[in-house]
Amino acid sequence: MNRLTRFAKHNSLTLAFGTGFLLTLVGQAVSGHADFNNQLVTDGLHPLGFLQYLATSDFAVDVTENWQSEYLQFFLYVFGTVWLLQRGSPESKELDKAGVESDREQKVGDHAGSESPRWAADKGWRQTLYSRSLGIVMAVIFTWSWLAQSIAGVAAYNEEHLRQLQAPVSWLQYLGSADFWNRTLQNWQSELLAVASMAILSVYLRQRGSPESKPVGAAHTSTGVEG
Amino acid sequence: MPPWRRTALMVLVCAAGLSGCATLGERETAASRAALRFERSVRQADWSRACAALAPQTRQELTESAKTSCVKALPDEELPYAGALRGSEVYGQQAQVVLSTDTLFLSAFPTGWLITAAGCEPRPHQPYQCKVKGG
Repeated sequence: MNRLTRFAKHNSLTLAFGTGFLLTLVGQAVSGHADFNNQLVTDGLHPLGFLQYLATSDFAVDVTENWQSEYLQFFLYVFGTVWLLQRGSPESKELDKAGVESDREQKVGDHAGSESPRWAADKGWRQTLYSRSLGIVMAVIFTWSWLAQSIAGVAAYNEEHLRQLQAPVSWLQYLGSADFWNRTLQNWQSELLAVASMAILSVYLRQRGSPESKPVGAAHTSTGVEG
Repeated sequence: MPPWRRTALMVLVCAAGLSGCATLGERETAASRAALRFERSVRQADWSRACAALAPQTRQELTESAKTSCVKALPDEELPYAGALRGSEVYGQQAQVVLSTDTLFLSAFPTGWLITAAGCEPRPHQPYQCKVKGG
């Protein structure tokens, strides 16, 4: 196996989903462009070119409203699963391990090994920060995406308002609008449903070979076991 | 929206990389100029020029509802004397220009900003009531 093939195999999860992301983003842009122009033509207005559409607030709000909810989902999942448990689920820790666990279990400070990340061996703020870095990065991306959604959203909302001969609103007014919360909550509910159903369905159902599932023959009651 | 909020919003949009911000002020100026040109044509009774400043669907709606040409129909709409420019806002391809006695809505076309509605008065919780509008 040459280096490139080995790299592709060892990183196939990220590469496959990253490629899928780019392809579907292009698909969203193409269909969003057609939909946006349909609305403009219906209103007797001039349609936009594809590159012009990519710079519109309409495209930006459609992209960012989904990004924020996905990163919120992972942020809540990463932080929530520190404390929250589900008996029988491979998504949960063992039932007696709720919490941040001991330094020994987490291999930090004096318990760090020779291959541990450098900041894990630190005993100060670096260890504290690194110990929460996954959740923090998810939270930061969520916050940025939600802010971007609100900014792109008010511009898209106002553009539509002007087409309908209505006065534009301010950003603060938009934060209290039905449009902003409808866009936000319709995404949040689907993400929370996905997490809840994954946690409970994985108690009773199996996917042979997947680390997201317990081994096929594992008991329904065994918790924190991955296949 | 107060100027400081609009500026802050523009900065945030720039920071988010979502829009071409450098030209927003220029686009507002261009929309305002188009609105003032239209109002000047109306004030000078230059109806052919005023009709040329209307968006195609607005012109079509006017001629179909009046069952006559735009240059004959537009004087009957008795558009208000516009007065001074109070402000303009541009979002994407749409704009609103507020004058002291009139409010106009515009849309961007390849030839520039065209009037989609004029002689508009605000109504609470409803779209503006406009004497001339498309659709």
